Amino acid sequence: MSTRSATALRLEIEHAMERSFPAALTPLQRTMHETAPSGIAEVDALLEGGLPVGAIGEVTGPESSGRTTLVLSFLAQRTAAGQVCAWVDADDAFDPESAAANGIHLRQLLWVRCRKNGKSAQQRQAAKLFAQLDQALRATDLLLQAGGFGAIVLDLGDTAAEHARRIPLATWFRFRQAADRARTCLVVLAETGCAQSSAAVTLECAALRPVIAGETVLRGFHFEVRREWQRFTPFVMGQKKPPACVRPAIGVWDTGQMG
Amino acid sequence: MSDGLYACVRAAEFPSQALLRLRPDLQSLPIVVLEGRAPLEQVCSMNRLARRQGAAADMTRLEAESLAGQSGGLRLLPRSLEGEAAARAAMLECVATFSPRIEEASRQTACAFVLDIRGTERLFGPPRALAERLRTALSAAGFLTSIAVSANYHAARIMAAASRGITVIPAGDEEPALAKLPLALLETSIDQGETLSIWGIRTLGELAALPLADLVARMGQSASTLHKLAHGTHPHTFQPIEAAFSLREFCEFEAPVEQMDSLLFVGARMIDSLVQRAATRAMSLASVDVHLELEGKRAHRLTIRPALPSIDRKFLLKLMQLEIAASPPPAAVLSLTLSAEAGQSSKVQLGLFAPQTPEPSRLDVTIARLKAIAGEGRVGTPVLEDVHCAGCFHMSDFAAENTPVEEQTGQPRMALRRLRPPLAVRVVLSADQPAGFFDGRQSYKVTASFGPWRSSGCWWAMDSWDSDEWDVLAQSQGAAPLACLLVMDRGKNEWRLEAFYD
Repeated sequence: MSTRSATALRLEIEHAMERSFPAALTPLQRTMHETAPSGIAEVDALLEGGLPVGAIGEVTGPESSGRTTLVLSFLAQRTAAGQVCAWVDADDAFDPESAAANGIHLRQLLWVRCRKNGKSAQQRQAAKLFAQLDQALRATDLLLQAGGFGAIVLDLGDTAAEHARRIPLATWFRFRQAADRARTCLVVLAETGCAQSSAAVTLECAALRPVIAGETVLRGFHFEVRREWQRFTPFVMGQKKPPACVRPAIGVWDTGQMG
Repeated sequence: MSDGLYACVRAAEFPSQALLRLRPDLQSLPIVVLEGRAPLEQVCSMNRLARRQGAAADMTRLEAESLAGQSGGLRLLPRSLEGEAAARAAMLECVATFSPRIEEASRQTACAFVLDIRGTERLFGPPRALAERLRTALSAAGFLTSIAVSANYHAARIMAAASRGITVIPAGDEEPALAKLPLALLETSIDQGETLSIWGIRTLGELAALPLADLVARMGQSASTLHKLAHGTHPHTFQPIEAAFSLREFCEFEAPVEQMDSLLFVGARMIDSLVQRAATRAMSLASVDVHLELEGKRAHRLTIRPALPSIDRKFLLKLMQLEIAASPPPAAVLSLTLSAEAGQSSKVQLGLFAPQTPEPSRLDVTIARLKAIAGEGRVGTPVLEDVHCAGCFHMSDFAAENTPVEEQTGQPRMALRRLRPPLAVRVVLSADQPAGFFDGRQSYKVTASFGPWRSSGCWWAMDSWDSDEWDVLAQSQGAAPLACLLVMDRGKNEWRLEAFYD
């Protein structure tokens, strides 16, 4: 039986049965999940539109894996769309020059630099009370509760994986709920995945090979990005279930000049 | 009889009222206010509860202390002229909402204003209704006042000093209304007072009953003024004052305050007062300057600057609390001064299709909370410096702005992750190029290096730099390859790991 005749047969049966069993053959209408483009075509293709809005997206990988570049590119898209974004920097590693070079409107970016051990007794006392990771989680919580941010990046890129994994699941669950209410993209930048089932999507980044110009200049890198976990796919309301197909799980992209 | 209509507002015992206005915790206690240099201080003012316990004006400190020892609960406070000036401004601000023509008639420790209320009937109704509204407004501002309304300026002033509550003297009835008031209400000279006392004149009515010609023949022309005052017919040329609009509140504590809760308790009343005064002029508070005078003649200054002018009391108080929590005063607080700048009321036109941005007032509180967590100067927007030195920026205050939508195109550029402060490393060179480095924990073998990229600048200043930068690909045992930025500081002859490419 050809595909066309199967579709025609399906339609015929649906029309015949629609009064008796209105939902018998029609899939339930599902929520349409909004996505925001990352600005990298290969990644957007991999995620079918981009990172999810109102959910947690994780971008993971070791150092020099292109994860920060990917997130900066995503923020550049958000700020270009007039959105206000925030970067919660647990390790004070954010580089404003790289951000500006990637097209982020810095005036629309709120940067929270969690502090390390202070010099004065008062600062040491404060540092004792709020360790850097704790500061970052509190700051993210406050920003999510405030609402109105297009994207919030929780940068745990230099935080040891064993520390990041100790963040309670209840915290991630709360963040997920708050991000959903505020319609904010919460992007977690970390060495390994730590949001577990609360993450809507998890991307694993890795460096493939450097791009060298004339053997004297390091121009950039080829990166590989792998979709580790995706909770839901963007789904148009009322759309019929699409035919099953194999979606790519790996994308390859490269950078331009060095930041 | 004149055609005018005057309302005199009088706050008796103003030094104590000025102190208690912002201190609801003291309002239920007997209070006396002392003035003068120690140890020769004297009681200059007191509240009703203190008077009931036997306190009187001009008592010495010793007498007041012995009275406090007998009765218990009597509190002795020093007079605060600065606080009285702030309270006077607040009172003037309040009465100015009822009439633009105001003349000050303060005497001794009482603060009084006479309002020309002619022609205000359409706005506020008959004189009694106006007086009631005026008294309610002043009561809300923390002042207990007596109000007298009369067609004669002096009759209103004298009646306000002699009565409590509201008294309205009908036009033409000034003489009978004043008749029973004591003669002491007229500001007679000592000689005049003695003479009248010898004659047995005790009340204004008795003075008014004397024949004017005989009185002048015996006491001189000045007696004519007293006679007219007693009759309620003495004319007056009204001299209105221009109330300067300044939003300032001051409170001096009787003992140094260390707890922030106590400070905020008083601060809340002060913000209330500022908000009300700004709101009467249809304005908001654009910024509030908090000045704390500390022990040891030190001062601590903070500024609360909401993104949009606001008259939300809770919001401003929260900002003040967070600001003080972020930079607490290093010593106990002796006095608190709030000076506010008025701004136009915040009205933001939102677009239906404009991207969502954080609500300004909520964002202010959030940023203040973030500063309390991360520290001052660590929350904001990065602004790149216009210099050639790499990594130079400063933080500025964040303000959510709606900007026009732009299409973002172009390939992403390799980003850096900075190490702050840079990590000192030991580098092994081979043919003048890095061949390996050790960061104190791990050794890395350099697989490729690109450079040096030499830069220098500001050689004429303290923050000069002279360095060689190397883009390095490195590999350590059992770890993923790294791309990092190694810098050779030529001035100090040392290597640093500045950043990772990521």
